[in-house]
Amino acid sequence: MAVSTAFDDIEIGTLVALPEAERDALPYGVTGLDSEGLVVVYSAAEARMAGLDRDTVIGQPYFDSVAQCMNNFMVAQRFEDETELDETLPYVLTLRMRPTRVRLRLLATSSEPLNYILIER
Amino acid sequence: MSEDLARDHEQLLEFLYACPIGLVEFDPTGAILMINPNAMKHLLPLAGPRDPGNLFAMLQECAPELRNLYDDFAKDRGTICDGHRIAVDIGVGRRGTDPKVLACTLVKLAPDRAIATFSDITVQVGQERRLRQTETWFGSLISGINDYAVLSITADGTIDGVNDAFTRQSGRPTEDVAGQPVDRILKVDMAAGSPSLCDQLRLAERDGWYLDESWQQRTTGERYWCQRLFAARPEGDGVCQPKGFFVVLRDVARDESDTSDLRRLLLFDHLTGAANRTHFLQMFEREQRRWQANRQPLSLILLDVDFFKAVNDLHGHPTGDVVLKQLSQVCSAMLRPSDLFARLGGEEFAVLLPDTALDEAVAMADRLRAAVAAMVIATSDGPLRITASFGCATATEACASVDGMIGLADGHLYAAKHAGRNRVHARASIPDAA
Repeated sequence: MAVSTAFDDIEIGTLVALPEAERDALPYGVTGLDSEGLVVVYSAAEARMAGLDRDTVIGQPYFDSVAQCMNNFMVAQRFEDETELDETLPYVLTLRMRPTRVRLRLLATSSEPLNYILIER
Repeated sequence: MSEDLARDHEQLLEFLYACPIGLVEFDPTGAILMINPNAMKHLLPLAGPRDPGNLFAMLQECAPELRNLYDDFAKDRGTICDGHRIAVDIGVGRRGTDPKVLACTLVKLAPDRAIATFSDITVQVGQERRLRQTETWFGSLISGINDYAVLSITADGTIDGVNDAFTRQSGRPTEDVAGQPVDRILKVDMAAGSPSLCDQLRLAERDGWYLDESWQQRTTGERYWCQRLFAARPEGDGVCQPKGFFVVLRDVARDESDTSDLRRLLLFDHLTGAANRTHFLQMFEREQRRWQANRQPLSLILLDVDFFKAVNDLHGHPTGDVVLKQLSQVCSAMLRPSDLFARLGGEEFAVLLPDTALDEAVAMADRLRAAVAAMVIATSDGPLRITASFGCATATEACASVDGMIGLADGHLYAAKHAGRNRVHARASIPDAA
């Protein structure tokens, strides 16, 4: 049975199980953060949108050095406060220093070690 | 070579992404040309439904003066403002922390290009406030030192004691001071935001002390920056009655250049001259504490210009600015000196009414409403008329906090808008309220 990998449908379990090549092929960006907020997963689409090299981003504190624009009560605080989270919200990022309207999907669940942020332009 | 360039470009992006200061490049309309993540982190939560691609639109509620400061800056390049403070939160901040304050610097690079920086100075502002309080107490402890002029005042406001240092500071011989009513000797700069002398004494009586800072004049005509500490007199027969006050006056060396302009910039809205959010908040908190202490009535009016967006869209921002200025003049002129007229954001204003019950506040709101509706604004397209909607609230046991009263008045304002605008609402229209 085909499981949907669309931005709005994909389950956190599906995302975790997805091979890296397939994750990189998704039309939206995927970022996975560990409990410290360090970048563990940084998909190709995400690297392309931000204009950054994946290798330099992996291991960085995401909300401090890469995506400060989400370091407020609307995004970062949500991961701190909630262990179960699946919310989609309109947002504005500063990809390549330009204000860019995107949709974010915030995913967290207690059974998975990583928190995920999906970014659709 | 191009690989080197690509690498440099990426490192530059990394640097700007990680920069702990907000950076924005924008054009004369406020449209954002470039912005880094730190800036968006601060600005997006303020944008509400407004265009996140326009700096002035995002700041319209919290700091509408930035657009005016930019528009009024006539030169092609230069610093428009440096460290201009933006009060983000009214009342306490999120989660009971200090209210958030941003410092903004605007630099014009060319006629069509400017840079803004934003930094979060919430912690510093909170420390400043606490330090100032500490300094006041410290000052009162060493008030015996010669350089501190001291007056002693009876409960009914007569000066019954004065030291030689007061003569050295003010130039007035002690025999011209003793026995005089205090308001003949001490001047108050109410235009610069100081409460009246009577209010200052009342605050000192309630809190134990009150600190005023303002320009004063010596008999030679020379101005000096004077810190005045009003302290309730700790003598008496144990009866809980006012026993008079001490006033400790200090001549503080200060550069004339930063003077009252700075104070005006800090307390009053650049465009309309109404009190700004910071000043409104401080005065509201002060009155709110007074309400807690003595239950003197305290009321609040919020007003919002009807269809203001249409005014800007049809007649342009300069006309919108004239509307706001004229409305501020009309309303301020109708209020008592003890009332405070403030601009909270874009086209939203507030009136703080101490010693005023809800009925009187509603009556005042209705007079303001009629006066606004009677205004005629001259525009290049001919005369323009506007209206405004009003919501009122008064401090009660159930709702006395700054945030609570603003929320209540805002709800009534919304109801007034909903009911057809150009009207005053003050009570819930739910029938079971009786």
